[in-house]
Amino acid sequence: MNILSVQGLTKQYPSFTLQSVSFSLSYGRIMGLIGVNGAGKTTTLKSILNMVCPDDGQIEMLGRSFPDNELACKQEIGVVFGGVDFYQHKKLRDITNVTRRFYTNWDESAYQKYMQEFNLDELKQVKQLSAGMRVKYSIALALSHHAKLLIFDEPTSGLDPVSRDDLLVLFRQLIKDGQRSILFSTHITSDLEKCADDITYIKKGKVLASAEKESFIQSFQHLKEPSDSRGLTLEEVMLRTERGSNNV
Amino acid sequence: MFNLLYKELRLAAHPTLFVFMLMGILVIVPAYPYGVVFLFGCLAPFITFMFGRETRDTYYTALLPIKKSDVVKGKCLLVSFTQLTQLLISIPFAILRVYIIPEGNPVGIEANVAYYGFGLIIFAIFNLIFFVQFYQTAFKVGRTFIIASVPAVIGIFIMEFLAHIPSLQWLDSTSPDMMFRQLPILGLGLVIYIMGMCYTFNLAARRFSAVDL
Repeated sequence: MNILSVQGLTKQYPSFTLQSVSFSLSYGRIMGLIGVNGAGKTTTLKSILNMVCPDDGQIEMLGRSFPDNELACKQEIGVVFGGVDFYQHKKLRDITNVTRRFYTNWDESAYQKYMQEFNLDELKQVKQLSAGMRVKYSIALALSHHAKLLIFDEPTSGLDPVSRDDLLVLFRQLIKDGQRSILFSTHITSDLEKCADDITYIKKGKVLASAEKESFIQSFQHLKEPSDSRGLTLEEVMLRTERGSNNV
Repeated sequence: MFNLLYKELRLAAHPTLFVFMLMGILVIVPAYPYGVVFLFGCLAPFITFMFGRETRDTYYTALLPIKKSDVVKGKCLLVSFTQLTQLLISIPFAILRVYIIPEGNPVGIEANVAYYGFGLIIFAIFNLIFFVQFYQTAFKVGRTFIIASVPAVIGIFIMEFLAHIPSLQWLDSTSPDMMFRQLPILGLGLVIYIMGMCYTFNLAARRFSAVDL
């Protein structure tokens, strides 16, 4: 059963078009949304969340139409767009005190657990946090209301290798019970190699391929060159696909 | 609704908003154009909206489990709360003034019942233009404030002008019988303010629904 289904998502801008993006994510899976900068990853995520008004397309989340059940769906999702970059002069405690009021499933003990795990001090202001700590705070908020679907936009950007690895391990733990799924956009292919189950590749606003990781990589093996002694990695797939078309 | 207002007051409101709420106290100044008090009630949302843009308040709010239109509702609640609180805070000082400075205000309208009615109408006009203009982009706040403050200032001039017409001298009085005569203006102000805010919210929310964040 799908936790998220995106069908024919289209958004037209004067200089860019998201063209009929379709993919689906099952329960207990991690999907990586990959593509170069400007490919349409963030626009896709924002369109899914109604932050950008799509021109066309259907979004089903947890078995319900998202536009018709926006409120109920948002109670069950956790969203992280990069790190926290709002209310720079506010203390984390103040932001949490407001955020928790909006979630019926807010779990204070889970919140405290993640704050401790991530070494976050509630009395610090947002501006006093490093980029990585801001991402961690966003994730702590998202995980504290038992979200079933976690949508992360570039969550690992700005994190040191250790924190990044910790986060990817955490991602795997989160989906272990099969009740949660994670959709995250990134251009760091090594993160996907480590933790993604499925890959959706967006190029110039179009979905080039969306499949289970191994079969995704297999489907691009035609890009292999005679000098390649082994199968292509995800990074090589991306590099060759992008460079092939741009003739770089 | 309470959570939205709580969020606005705890995270989105600029500190000057609370200072401007207290500006209603100015009605106790012996000689002062009391219409300026309403300008503070218009300036407060402008600074808070500008602050909201810098703190990416809209972005945070849109990610909460609320409808997109609730982003606008939160701001409508905040602005109404500010303006009505400002007027309520001023009332005891307006009453006190009648007793300690009985000779009246030599430079403009008295802080009487009609004054509060005019104030509510001026706020309603400002809010309608300000909100509807702002939520076309959810970004351009400076230009929006200029566009909305022009009719608000004109409204203040009209209020002062009317109070100085000899046949309408009852508008500029604090005597109980004259203030009783002014009650319909206050009633009209309340109706326009309440209906105006409902209309403002609907129109602004519709505009905002088409905005890409």
